[in-house]
Amino acid sequence: MPSERTAMSPAGASGLLLVVLLGLMGVELHAATGGFALGEWLRPLAGPTGTGEWLLALTWWPRLVTALIAGAGLAIAGVLMQQVLRNPLASPTTLGVAGGANLALMAASLFAPGLMLVGSEWVALAGGAAAMGLVFLLSWRQALSPLVVVLAGLVVNLYLGALAMVLLLFNQETLQGLLIWGAGSLAQDGWHDAAFLLPRLAVGLVAAWLLLRPLRVLELDDASGRSLGVNLAGLRLAALGAAVFLTGTVVSVVGLIGFIGLAAPNIARLLGAERLGARLFWAPIIGALLLAVTDLLLQSASAWLPTLIPTGAMTAALGAPLLLWLIPRLRLEVAPPTLGETGWPRAGRPERRLMWIAAALVPATLLALFSGHVAGQWTWWSGASPVWEWRLPRMLAAAGAGILLAVAGTLLQRLTGNPMASPEVLGISGGVAIFLLLGIVLLPAVSLPLLVLLGVAGALVALVVLITLNARSGFLPERLLLTGVAITALAEAVRALVLAGSDPRGQQIVAWLSGSTYFVGTAEAFVVLGFGVLAALAVLVLSRWLDLLPLGAPVSRALGVPVGGGRLAVLGVSAVLTAAATLVIGPLSFVGLLAPHMARLLGLSRARDHLLGAALIGAVLMILADWIGRQIQFPHEIPAGLVASLIGGTYFLWALRRL
Amino acid sequence: MLAACLCLFVPVHAAPGEAPRVATLDWTVAETLIALDARLVGLAQVDGYQSWVAEPSVPETVLDLGLRAQPNLEQLVGLSPDRIALSPMFASLVPRLKTVAPVTTFDLYGPDVETWPAIRRVTRELGAFAGRERQAEALINDSEARLAHLAQLLPADTPPLIVVQFMDARHVRVFGENGLYHAVLGRLGLENGWTGETNRWGFSLVGLESLAGLEGRLVVVRPYPVGVPRALGESALWKRLVEQSQGEVLELDPVWSFGALPSATRFAEQLVEAIDAE
Repeated sequence: MPSERTAMSPAGASGLLLVVLLGLMGVELHAATGGFALGEWLRPLAGPTGTGEWLLALTWWPRLVTALIAGAGLAIAGVLMQQVLRNPLASPTTLGVAGGANLALMAASLFAPGLMLVGSEWVALAGGAAAMGLVFLLSWRQALSPLVVVLAGLVVNLYLGALAMVLLLFNQETLQGLLIWGAGSLAQDGWHDAAFLLPRLAVGLVAAWLLLRPLRVLELDDASGRSLGVNLAGLRLAALGAAVFLTGTVVSVVGLIGFIGLAAPNIARLLGAERLGARLFWAPIIGALLLAVTDLLLQSASAWLPTLIPTGAMTAALGAPLLLWLIPRLRLEVAPPTLGETGWPRAGRPERRLMWIAAALVPATLLALFSGHVAGQWTWWSGASPVWEWRLPRMLAAAGAGILLAVAGTLLQRLTGNPMASPEVLGISGGVAIFLLLGIVLLPAVSLPLLVLLGVAGALVALVVLITLNARSGFLPERLLLTGVAITALAEAVRALVLAGSDPRGQQIVAWLSGSTYFVGTAEAFVVLGFGVLAALAVLVLSRWLDLLPLGAPVSRALGVPVGGGRLAVLGVSAVLTAAATLVIGPLSFVGLLAPHMARLLGLSRARDHLLGAALIGAVLMILADWIGRQIQFPHEIPAGLVASLIGGTYFLWALRRL
Repeated sequence: MLAACLCLFVPVHAAPGEAPRVATLDWTVAETLIALDARLVGLAQVDGYQSWVAEPSVPETVLDLGLRAQPNLEQLVGLSPDRIALSPMFASLVPRLKTVAPVTTFDLYGPDVETWPAIRRVTRELGAFAGRERQAEALINDSEARLAHLAQLLPADTPPLIVVQFMDARHVRVFGENGLYHAVLGRLGLENGWTGETNRWGFSLVGLESLAGLEGRLVVVRPYPVGVPRALGESALWKRLVEQSQGEVLELDPVWSFGALPSATRFAEQLVEAIDAE
């Protein structure tokens, strides 16, 4: 909902977009046919003669029409999702549909190619629906509160993304085509896509209009809705079903198109289309025009571009800044932090618990150093064998990174009072990933120190963005997390663009992004571990603030905590810790989410115990993740970051009932 | 490239009379070493090599080193090769690997590199590296003689060829300047129908529509991704491209697109056989 009125109306904006679209069309069509009139431009459709004309007939016109249909379909899906969830940030991408469809297609083409022959759209649809179901499960306890839904969507996206990365690491050559799909290319080879999509769009549109009147009831609260005799659960299911159907059909044909489903409904709303009927009318028009214009611009720029730039990832990349701009203008219903101090166990003697966790480090360390493959044979104890020298730096680095992330995660979870906050969610890891990706692709040969430099720069840029965008709201936790969501989305778009380029270095890129202790030498490993231990001890100074901040701003202020400054300090510290850890084990890991959570479950409720417990658990988890990654597919090594996110994600699903 | 040349002047001492035991991560280097009958002891992603490079096949004595991007160091140390061969793609691994054995980088593909002379140079360098100088000369001579022979088998009126590999039903890699196929076409006296830009590996990822209006005959290098042959059956654009092709579309068995002499010869043989089959 807008906090300010803009000068332009939805009709005005659509008119403007239409003029731009017609202008671009005119330029291209004139160049292709030499004509100026619509009759001349359409004539190739009836009977193309030269190459230029049948290109118009078989690719250009179908592509334009497909873009319009796809844009409209995604926009309707977005409106429906946003209405049902009363959440302006709901969209096919943020709810995990895209990530689910992607993973399902990858898995199917590797393990059950027969399914792809039956129909890839069904595979995509099933994957997308399952992922969205998972997001709902995760946020059910929180009554699908907007922020929780978006965060759950992000976590599910990251988890499915990690699984997709493992598949990609081993099958880069085979999955190349799906990477193009994942970046959403609108290239057409005839009219069959448009013919496939149009009736389905019509079905979706009719369903949406039929649901229009009952859906308006959802703007009231549930009790009044029920008193009007509306079957709320059935209504929600029907509307979401229509939304997933629309998304699934569009995505299965043209690939992942980011952000149109999020942006179009929000633009319509910000321009004054507040009523559901008005939004259902204007959002598809805006979505269609937006996608078509972006696509035409990319097509005309493609002559100067070094490689194929698929439209879907481009809209996602452009959409991220839009989301950043949108966040301060949204009025989110923020539920009071229900997870503050209730619902968690509380240990009577936290010191004893901490001792037990510390004791677990011993077997983990021994395992990591002394068991593994020697000369192709697996042994529990390789004793005096020299191999353990190769294992020591990895074990130390894993422990150090685990501590860093766990501490950063604890800080963030206490700062935001949200158990789904984590360094990944804050976008620092995303910033590092963007810079590393661009470095690997744009520079001919990248040395290790250069990559480290790039990573630090990326972390700093992300931090600056976070601070500048949130300074005005006094670092309000919800806004912070949403800024992180936008940066992470941008990182995913950049990744999709880079991988779609069919670069033979793809596997290296994936390996870097998966986060591995592989490249760490002994000296660096000691530095990481030392930094981690020092950081864990140093942040204990913040314990008092961290005990008070989750109680909310008024309480904290009354007890003498400088709320704005305190939040900034905690944020800054966790950003630095995250950057350091990301450089070692990459942007993909759930340790920062997981370790604080487990510490809390073990009853470590005071900030001091929580921090120490999380740090120890983080170290144990990463050591084990690194060790498992080295054993499970020997001699192929699965990066520790990926193993950690798979373990973390699985735990997360298991721990649903806690959230 | 400079680095690669410099390295070669530093002799690595192996036991006299005995060729050094070598390991590599790069499939292009590997196919050359196998063709030279070098003492290859370790290779990364052997199963990937078997399905994407296929020929010459990996001897059974070669140990799998794991992923190319992150070879298993413990496995490599256990193997203790005398030398390791890499390509510039693996530059970030050099500091790690050179603690195991001396590392030499062989630079084959790159912007503004003339592919055929580069293949010849790299083959010689690998010969010196693996103690197989004589075999390297023989491989170069045999391959060039074979290509020259194949060139004579071609009909004089062979149209330009447009070599593509499908990524999905609407996108192909089209091979041109800087690439292996382009170099082979040149040796065979054939013209490449794709004169557009290519990347440092000699291909360009394009939508099918970019092939419209090109003069020449289409050559498809298999494998097709799952479902693509069926999708092409329904594609009006592909139908039109097939009509436009100067002669029936040729299909070749998989050949490593970024290979060296063995892949070059295999590609040439398949191509000439397919053209002459008519």
